[in-house]
Amino acid sequence: MLGFFKKKPGHKDGKDRVVVLGIDGVPCSLLKRFIERGMMPNLSALVQKGTLTDMTASIPEVSSTSWSTFMTGVNPGRHGIYGFTELRKGTYKWRFPNSDDLRSSTLWDIAGRHGRKSVIINIPSTYPARELNGILTAGFVALDLKKATYPESAYEYLKGIGYKMDVDTRKARESAEALAGEIDSAFEIRKKAILHFFDTAEWNLFIGVITETDRLHHYLWNALDDEGHPQHGFFLDFYKRLDGFIGEMYERTGDGVPFIILSDHGFTTIKKEIYLNAWLKEKGYLKFGKDSPESLEDMLAESRVFVLDPARFYIHTKERYPEGSVGPDEYEGLRRKLKDELLALEVDGEKVVKSVFFREEIYSGDLFDDAPDLVALPCEGYDLKGSINKDRIAGKGFLTGGHTREDAVFYINRRVSRKDINIVDAGPTIMSLLDISGNSFDGGSLV
Amino acid sequence: MAQDEREKLMELSLEEKIDHSKKIIKEAIDKFGTEKMAVAWTGGKDSTTMVWLFRETCRELGVPMPRCMFIDEGYVFDEIWDIVNRLKKEWDLNVAIAKNTDVSDKAEKVGDMIRVADLNERNRREIAKLEYEEDAFPFEPESFVGNHLMKTVAMNVFLEDNGIKALSTAIRWDEQEARVEETFFSSRENPPHTRIQPILHFKERDIWNFIFKYDIPFCVLYKEGYRSLGAKGSTVKMADIPAWEQDLENTYERAGRGQSKEEIMGKLRDLGYM
Repeated sequence: MLGFFKKKPGHKDGKDRVVVLGIDGVPCSLLKRFIERGMMPNLSALVQKGTLTDMTASIPEVSSTSWSTFMTGVNPGRHGIYGFTELRKGTYKWRFPNSDDLRSSTLWDIAGRHGRKSVIINIPSTYPARELNGILTAGFVALDLKKATYPESAYEYLKGIGYKMDVDTRKARESAEALAGEIDSAFEIRKKAILHFFDTAEWNLFIGVITETDRLHHYLWNALDDEGHPQHGFFLDFYKRLDGFIGEMYERTGDGVPFIILSDHGFTTIKKEIYLNAWLKEKGYLKFGKDSPESLEDMLAESRVFVLDPARFYIHTKERYPEGSVGPDEYEGLRRKLKDELLALEVDGEKVVKSVFFREEIYSGDLFDDAPDLVALPCEGYDLKGSINKDRIAGKGFLTGGHTREDAVFYINRRVSRKDINIVDAGPTIMSLLDISGNSFDGGSLV
Repeated sequence: MAQDEREKLMELSLEEKIDHSKKIIKEAIDKFGTEKMAVAWTGGKDSTTMVWLFRETCRELGVPMPRCMFIDEGYVFDEIWDIVNRLKKEWDLNVAIAKNTDVSDKAEKVGDMIRVADLNERNRREIAKLEYEEDAFPFEPESFVGNHLMKTVAMNVFLEDNGIKALSTAIRWDEQEARVEETFFSSRENPPHTRIQPILHFKERDIWNFIFKYDIPFCVLYKEGYRSLGAKGSTVKMADIPAWEQDLENTYERAGRGQSKEEIMGKLRDLGYM
């Protein structure tokens, strides 16, 4: 009987297939905690069959950079995505990098060149969809489903089921109940789409990403440990449902096929947001021509440094910017001074910056010149921000959870002995499992 | 303008809103006359409504209607040309087409690459101002350079060549967050002129009520589900039901537009960026 079915690539013996389930913003420590509490029985069973470990994310620890690093297996100096925002070259106008700005081949580009098919659902920073050997529908920041999806037939299907590209965060800001409702419906439709393509499409590489976890954490992280919080139950229940989905995906995948679960960064409670541009203003490094600047176009030429989200420091050099004020002879001294001052920065008697990297310490490649000059990482509980219209250095925002570079998660149903895993290693691992070699990655295979 | 004043204007009845727009237009005509004034007309619902308001006001004042400026950015929907040509005749409008032909003549279709070196001095100067360093750029609505040359430069050249002192545009406060700071009159440089923005206080719903009450013709694309019309190829339908039947109050009017900067900024803000 089986002979009547069309042979799908790799379907028979599990070789030449890899399944990846992305869970945006899920910390490894949280999963371990929920496993211990018996809340995630499916994941718990998977841990017996493989390796669950923490992983570091990209720098900066934002989804666009981290997922781009995942999908290319190279550092931002090569793929070019340093964050969600950039300035248009030679100007002070905002620019929002999208998939056209990604300068390295993706895993599915490479797989496609080797005749393998891919299904890619909801990875952030893949909008607008580029042609591939397979199916792709893009994740955050996707604006229009049609442009987010390749090919047209996949768009027709998604449109038909009322697919939602994201939680409507505008509604989310209205109330916690509205947010819970949004997360709920986005998660349900996401699962439906993922399972549909999993079952009906031909693929060797399958990647489906759940982003509702990140939205849940940003807005309701405070509900996690507060039993009195009206959404506490929702938070815990959401993880039980996530566990249910992990179980369902694994059952359909089968033991023989490599199965990976990973996140793009961790999460923690925000004690305070730290507004780095306000700090730069206070230090005299940054000046605006207006009391409430709307963009960096309002910055005065004499400014020495500015920050783009989350903590990317750009020295206002004569070389790089039309009105730059910092000459080559001052550059080195200025960035050393900045680093020292940042590491010494205290708010209410507590240090807020854990580490500061010079760009050559973390980035390399053809797009190195586009890199920020310094990048800071926060001490636990501080959310570093590049807002330009804040007067105070520290404050509270509407989000209760913030990203961490540490404590992202990596799981595979194989033994992995290596420690110090970074998200840049995931891509090479996947390619190695697909038996595709000869690519120049920055990370290394874990299997 | 203070927020409460803006909100008050937005809560007026349709007739009160129309009266307020006419008052702004009268004030503009008093100040600038109609000779050196132009009305920016895209063929879309908002600017067509604005053109209607200008006609009414000019008729009441007994002055000639100022000319309309239509920017042909090279990728205009056929359905837009239909409504523009139809109303030009029916309403007896003087329509000037602003088009950067030095650029568009170099491309046969959208997506063609245009070499910077082939362009005239003005266009090359504009490209240099953008600090764009490549030798060529694609002729398409979302290309940074192409968009600037075909829209902004085409408009500026029209304003300069005709010595236009005041240009009326049909932007609205509720269209996008980035517009809430706009005022009915605002001065611009390069070239120096005044922007008249007489329908700022209309909501999307008001425009449709206005259109149906006064039987103002509109582009058929709205009936097919488009909410907001931009360039062909970068604008998509929001739904398969007519624009005015969609959930105007709870969804983005411009969501069907290509790569809306404001929308991306809104989404990023909601996750704590920007």
